[in-house]
Amino acid sequence: MTAQAPLTPTKTVEMRDENTILEVNNLKMHFPITKGISTRVRGWVKAADDVSFFLRQGETLGLVGESGCGKTTVGRCIVRAYKPTAGEILYRNEDGSVVDLAALKPDEVRPYRKDIRMVFQDPYSSLNPRMTVLELISEVLKVNKLESSDTIQTRVGALLEKVGMRPEYMQRYPHAFSGGERQRIVVARALITNPRIIVCDEAVSALDVSIRAQILNLLESLQKEFNLTYLFISHDLSVIRHICNRIVVMYVGKVVEVSDALEIYTGPRHPYTEALLSSVPLADPNGREGRQRIHLEGEIADPSNPPSGCYFHPRCQYAKERCKTDAPELRDLGGNHFVACHFAEDLKLAAVIK
Amino acid sequence: MVQTTPMNKSLAPTPEEHVTESLDLEVASQWKLMWWKFRKHKMAIIGTVIVIIYYTMGMFAEFFAPTHFTTYNEQYVYAPPQTIHLFRDGKLDPYVNGYTFVRDPISFKKTWAVDETVVVPISFLVRSEEYKLWGFIPGSLHLVAADNPRDPFYLLGSDKSGRDVFGRIIYSARVSLTVGLVGVALSLILGIMIGGVSGLIGGWLDNVIQRLIEIIMSIPTLPLWLALAAVVPLDWQPLQVYFMITVILSLVGWTGMARVVRSKFLALREEDFILAATLDGVPRGRMIMRHMVPSFLSHIIASITLSIPGMILGETALSFLGLGLRPPVVSWGVMLQETQKVAVLAISPWLLYPAVAVIIVVLALNFMGDGLRDAADPYQ
Amino acid sequence: MDNTLIDVKDLKVHFFTDEGVVRAVDGVDLKLERGRTLSLVGESGCGKSVACRALMQIVRNPGKVVAGEILYNRGAEGGQAEIIDIAKMDPKGKEIRDIRGKEISMIFQEPMTSLSPMYTVGNQIIENILLHTNLTKEQARDLAIKLLDQVGIPRADRLVDEYPFRLSGGMRQRSMIAMALSCNPNLLIADEPTTALDVTTQANILDLMSDLQKSYNMTLLFITHDLGVVAEIADEVAVMYLGKIVEKSDVYTIFNSPRHPYTQALLKSIPKIAIKREDLDPIKGMVPNPFRRPGGCPFHPRCPQAFAECKVLVPTTTQLTPNHSVQCLLYENFANRIATEQKQ
Repeated sequence: MTAQAPLTPTKTVEMRDENTILEVNNLKMHFPITKGISTRVRGWVKAADDVSFFLRQGETLGLVGESGCGKTTVGRCIVRAYKPTAGEILYRNEDGSVVDLAALKPDEVRPYRKDIRMVFQDPYSSLNPRMTVLELISEVLKVNKLESSDTIQTRVGALLEKVGMRPEYMQRYPHAFSGGERQRIVVARALITNPRIIVCDEAVSALDVSIRAQILNLLESLQKEFNLTYLFISHDLSVIRHICNRIVVMYVGKVVEVSDALEIYTGPRHPYTEALLSSVPLADPNGREGRQRIHLEGEIADPSNPPSGCYFHPRCQYAKERCKTDAPELRDLGGNHFVACHFAEDLKLAAVIK
Repeated sequence: MVQTTPMNKSLAPTPEEHVTESLDLEVASQWKLMWWKFRKHKMAIIGTVIVIIYYTMGMFAEFFAPTHFTTYNEQYVYAPPQTIHLFRDGKLDPYVNGYTFVRDPISFKKTWAVDETVVVPISFLVRSEEYKLWGFIPGSLHLVAADNPRDPFYLLGSDKSGRDVFGRIIYSARVSLTVGLVGVALSLILGIMIGGVSGLIGGWLDNVIQRLIEIIMSIPTLPLWLALAAVVPLDWQPLQVYFMITVILSLVGWTGMARVVRSKFLALREEDFILAATLDGVPRGRMIMRHMVPSFLSHIIASITLSIPGMILGETALSFLGLGLRPPVVSWGVMLQETQKVAVLAISPWLLYPAVAVIIVVLALNFMGDGLRDAADPYQ
Repeated sequence: MDNTLIDVKDLKVHFFTDEGVVRAVDGVDLKLERGRTLSLVGESGCGKSVACRALMQIVRNPGKVVAGEILYNRGAEGGQAEIIDIAKMDPKGKEIRDIRGKEISMIFQEPMTSLSPMYTVGNQIIENILLHTNLTKEQARDLAIKLLDQVGIPRADRLVDEYPFRLSGGMRQRSMIAMALSCNPNLLIADEPTTALDVTTQANILDLMSDLQKSYNMTLLFITHDLGVVAEIADEVAVMYLGKIVEKSDVYTIFNSPRHPYTQALLKSIPKIAIKREDLDPIKGMVPNPFRRPGGCPFHPRCPQAFAECKVLVPTTTQLTPNHSVQCLLYENFANRIATEQKQ
């Protein structure tokens, strides 16, 4: 299989370093709000607002936050299901050249679709029930002419085996399979193009506990085997803790903290991260009486009408006057730990792992 | 026999080892699953059988009707229905009874009554009156006919010209049922095209189409039909009138279909599997034909089945009012026109049999449509 | 003194479908102690929800309670016992309707589906109060506001007149709790009440529920698949698998020294925040198709410790300690059973 040449000459943009495969800079995705039959725009839902982070080759980056924080939107911008409103998504090709995916027109994205794939949350809705497993997995090869039709079956069969399914099952329809098996099919479908990056959008959230572990293990072993880079989007901090090397925490369309995985759990620097972590139920009843939880007052801000200053200030127990007016920038605290809080250095925040 | 040695390894299946119920289910396509679901619906199956019988009879009316719908016998006017007797003198020898004159004691009018002493022999699968099937295949085989074509044989009575009501109902089925089918097909084509444009392209075009549909839907159907039907020139050929009526019926009928198609397209745009196909780089045409249309085709089939009765009733109503098809074309509505006079109805109530035919087929189509609608989404 | 509120004995709920009979709940024994929280935990399809619905006789068609007793002591705590069998009641009868929503109430996973969109939150709480008490409309309204305030809804006097769709998920679940508490129930059944909520909201609701339980001295039956939530809220834990309770004990015993292979495997398969492991230990295979239940112990095809007898003998309940029971042949002396069952 030959790598297709990009349709547009790649811009001579620089990325952080050789090791970075994807870099998101100031990504904005605003959705218009219209009402009734008129097409007049009444406002914007700022689903992602100034999101910046980067992915290193071969790592698993966790993107966490509660519902409505924009994590799914960011994932979908990266796979270019959406055309971002503004910002850059820099992608380093295998030959080292860099392209800004955010700037490409829809048909120019096509060559990159096979490099950046997606695993969906719900294995019931993401597989067309009217197509067989073979048709589902091989469609991308067919429509992009990535494999000649006589070898497609062999290739799909081999991959099914890799994800722990019998190749004979390829003639079956999705309704013949349970949720866990379907998710294996979804993973196979993402893998069939030999991608370099996989965006996993809540890939295990819809699965039962015992099946979840199977799929997590599968994803990990595939990562080792194919040198994959994962962007792992999830609301489940235990899963994120298990699988991720680094973590990006989002709140109402903004990145509030980025750091190495362990550091988030041992020393969070943003009050929202602290509250989020303290809310996670620990599967361990011992000493639960003494455990202190941080209660967040009020509701998550409305992304079409966010509060002034720091979006988190109405719910933050450490908020000061400045937080109401000044929006904090995401800044580097050193050691690859980024945080968007004015008082990150001064706060003594509780950690979930001592 | 019981072993006590641990055998943990051999007992444990690997994750991919999935014991399957039956291989049929796993490889069953959408249509197979739909059929399995549909056949559980008893009323729908009965409805389907009735609909098939109706359409078969309409299609081969020449064979099923004892005589042609224009064949008349001026002698037997308003003759009452006869009953088929299969056995005579203990032997299989089907016959019907003939007629005799009686005087109505009130009006003193001469009327026919069944005379049990007269025997009219009949036969099944017999060669009788010659016909041309669909206008070009010559034949003379009938399902049932009187041995002597001049003998009266009126299973459901005769009308004012001594024509066989039973035979005419069968010939009417051909006209009335195809009006429904062709009308629905036309509105389906219009509906899918306009609804598809509306749902797929969207924007201002969608807005314009939706407003247009609302306007058309807000016009009361019957006056609209009447107005359109009144425009049909009186000197048109029956065939032209027939097509005009079909077009009129479908011009009103497409709006509902267009809305269904549009909403299906809009709903599908949000589906994960459509997004997944987009990310696979599936081109637009393939997306529509391979992913979108198959997911709502079954719903469309169910809803057209449910809209055929409306078409049939529309044609019947128009013809009944004298605005639709006109003699010599025969349809259920045309036949029912004769029952408009109460006096006629009082002495020959069998002229209402076409209405019974309409009711049965409308019910049957509704049951069938209900069954199809329930089976339309086998993945729930 | 016997402190049992509900004693479920050998409960069986079967679903009679076109494809065959599904034994959703297949011989469950359960004791609910007054003022305690019992958590029923298991994967989807294990029958935990059905079992709880049976306690209120609200099993959906085509499900039926086919056997067993649900002995409910409706007498006051410490007072004269007044035991009735819910399993024998007509699901549409007056007897059970008097109990539902008054003495036993339930909250669901998705509050939006159990709150009517046509009425205000207040209307729905007031209706329940009027149905089961002799209060006047005004008193009921005051009580509704008090309850909403108690479950942590800000400006309860104004929110009482809001429609459910105007509230956030967390607020809706709080209103459901207020409604469930409106008649001071003896038992509150919570069916995955926090599964649809965000973690921060979940934490708030869990704390609210345990606070309310203490102040109302109510019995709580908490159904969940999330072992983290179980560890937070439960006093007792019952682990269900394919319609059977495979292990039952207090929460510390279950988490610190589980005995049933399924419980052990379940605990090993969840990622934990405090410990980073190289690999998770998943349970192999998957929950079998309900129409094709394995013979013998239902867990044997997935069990790492299964031996030959597991295929043929259905384990019975073994009492390890007074408050720890398990259904597993590893702990059962089944030699006699083999002899007797072979004779038969």
